[in-house]
Amino acid sequence: MAENKVLVVGGGFSGLTAAVEAAETGAEVILVEKNPYLGGRVTQLNKYFWKMCPPNCGLEIQYKRIKNNGKVTIYTLAQVEKISGSEGNFEVTIKTTPRFVNDKCTACNKCAEVCPVERSNDFDFGMSKTKAAYLAHSQAFPAQYVIDGKVCKGSSCGACVKACPYGAIDLGMKAETITVKVGAVVTATGWNPYDATKMDNLGFGRVQNVVTNMMMERLAAPNGPTQGKIVRPSDGKEVKNIAFVQCAGSRDENHLPFCSYICCLASLKQATYVREQYGDSKVKVFYIDIRTPGLYENRFYAKLQQDANVSFLKGKVAKIEQGENGDVKVTAEDIHGGGKVTESFDMVVLATGMEPTAKSLSGAGIKATWDGFVDQAALPKGVYAAGTVKAPVDVARTAQDATAAVMKSIQSLRRN
Amino acid sequence: MSDATVIKPDLQFVSEIIKGGGESLKKCYQCATCSVVCNVTPEGNPFPRKEMVLAQWGQKDKLITSPDVWLCHQCSDCTAYCPRGAKPGEVLNAIRKQSIKEVAMIPLFAKIATDPKLIWLLFAIPMALFYIVLTVLGNTNIDVVRAKSSHMAYHNFMPVPAIDVIFILTAAFAATSAFVGIKRLWAGMQANAGTAQGSGSPFGHILPAVTTILAHKKFADCNVSRLRQWGHLLLFYAFAGLAIVTTWAIVYLYGHEFLGIKAFGPFNFGEAPYPMTDPMKMLALASSVAFAIGFTIILLNRLGNAGKAGMGSYFDWIFLLIVIGVGATGMLSWGLRLADVTMGYWVYYFHLVFVWSLFAYAPYSKFAHLFYRTTAMVFAKYTGRDKK
Repeated sequence: MAENKVLVVGGGFSGLTAAVEAAETGAEVILVEKNPYLGGRVTQLNKYFWKMCPPNCGLEIQYKRIKNNGKVTIYTLAQVEKISGSEGNFEVTIKTTPRFVNDKCTACNKCAEVCPVERSNDFDFGMSKTKAAYLAHSQAFPAQYVIDGKVCKGSSCGACVKACPYGAIDLGMKAETITVKVGAVVTATGWNPYDATKMDNLGFGRVQNVVTNMMMERLAAPNGPTQGKIVRPSDGKEVKNIAFVQCAGSRDENHLPFCSYICCLASLKQATYVREQYGDSKVKVFYIDIRTPGLYENRFYAKLQQDANVSFLKGKVAKIEQGENGDVKVTAEDIHGGGKVTESFDMVVLATGMEPTAKSLSGAGIKATWDGFVDQAALPKGVYAAGTVKAPVDVARTAQDATAAVMKSIQSLRRN
Repeated sequence: MSDATVIKPDLQFVSEIIKGGGESLKKCYQCATCSVVCNVTPEGNPFPRKEMVLAQWGQKDKLITSPDVWLCHQCSDCTAYCPRGAKPGEVLNAIRKQSIKEVAMIPLFAKIATDPKLIWLLFAIPMALFYIVLTVLGNTNIDVVRAKSSHMAYHNFMPVPAIDVIFILTAAFAATSAFVGIKRLWAGMQANAGTAQGSGSPFGHILPAVTTILAHKKFADCNVSRLRQWGHLLLFYAFAGLAIVTTWAIVYLYGHEFLGIKAFGPFNFGEAPYPMTDPMKMLALASSVAFAIGFTIILLNRLGNAGKAGMGSYFDWIFLLIVIGVGATGMLSWGLRLADVTMGYWVYYFHLVFVWSLFAYAPYSKFAHLFYRTTAMVFAKYTGRDKK
């Protein structure tokens, strides 16, 4: 008899959905997430499609379903190291990094108040800082602090241990290796933003005020480094003249050979952030083709085209240089007959694409295609993939895909 | 539909581009990265993005005599940054090949110079030519030739007057071909320029264009193939140096023979061979060294950049083969003469074959870029096209 248990690798929107959907069929679920919180990339967004609501609107429902169901065991700060065995009877090795904070934490912030060490906040892509004892973000689930072992001074400091009124801090916590048995596996490890420094002609990391689309989400988010005020990183100037550079690395065989699917709509969405915040702002989108497949997506694009302060230029940006006073100079060829144009902007957003994560799953016996997604034809029996580890998709489609993958995993459990 | 534009694609032209080194042409999806990373193109109506779509659509007339196709120096920055591997640098090179064939005075000669299937004919013509001359002169037995004088001397094998007659005729043929080609290219460029015609005399723009070429200013704007600037510069001046040496040798020989000028100071008027202390010989040696270094740089640059810039086509490699053939047989025959190795005569025979090929095919091979790029640069200056 097979274990009536499903392993879900990755706790982003796809993995989260897979976990609750599987649990609600009565299966036990082990959910493994490498971050100290669930929700993945969606938690970093300001708003997301299609309701243009903040991330908590969708995520809170999922968290509540998990809590009410009780069949999901969550491992945060954890990664799957190895999967052995076969369909119906997998043995999974999970490795955890210590959180140094236990379940008694009430997120009162006392530890962070006394913590003497600062760290760059990766949740905000380095645009803000936290203490070594920190809450990953305001909506973090589990709502539990975490101590960054890489920078924490350990027991020689111990200020947080003394400050915590609940005895929630344990600086002696060690990394653990856990072994579990499951019947089926759903991998949903998602994507990472493509490293924009690799496109040497686009100036990221070299030219001030060139940011990525994910950084733009943080700049616009109320819980972001600027409390949602869209200002440029170098001098805090209000961003009233902004350019979006589409296909920054995507559809490019030197970088990501595929279309990342979400970036066009993401830039159009971010254009509305700027337009709504500053009435006199101007937005320019440089593109090869605007790809907004689907009824809703096309309507969104058409609506934005009605805005006289939003313009579109056909021609890929292939050169970005530092202008005066922190401005950014962007060069493209206006394909509709305008010749080579160089324009200056307050800030430039690179619509960077999705770097898939399938290559990180080799320990689990999962093969990646040449472009880095899960090779679905080569998946072992009883192992399924969902969401952006399979192909670039948006949040809604990732949820649908997760539900479909769970269906397959349940069928697998029943078979064996 | 009164203002409809009917586009007639020339499919033959498309297939010739694809076969001639531009096989990646159809991969282009018109993102215009190439036009932006190109530092050689004018800002208005830049290349090579528009050439890519024109070539895909078989718009032969717009490309074959376009100055832009020739203003391209094939830096390959476009190819390195192309997101689709469409290799605009290689495609434009293939278009230039078609352009050379189109304006050629004798199309058959262009075919021989550019068609890999006719490589045997390319070399058979000069081999037969020189062999016939040697037969007529009775110099096909090199041991007999060697016995003619105490020192090994190539004029015993192929007398200077014979060489002069052949090469003066060849040079005249090449010059006529180039002149006809330039005229056709110019007329085509004018026909395509529409309202952007130049005014006044175009001749005033020749000197500025030549100055740009002499300084290799355009090459300095390349990034991916930055090294090539020095390789091409050395090779260019090596050729110039060797051209001067050839003229100089004629002055020595005929100055002595017809004007009775005698050797004075370091200047050895009279017959070859000349000593190493002669300034002409020094220039020859300096040019040879520049040639060797320049060629090596060009070759290494091409091989080293193959991943980013493409491997080139037959059109490029046959030209490089002839150039290295001239250099290698030239230096080898010199060395063999000093070492008194009789086989040197046959090496010298092949040297003549390569030199003849270089000259005779000049307006029909990749060497034609010397004429046509210069023409295009003059035209660009004349019509104000080269203004940034």
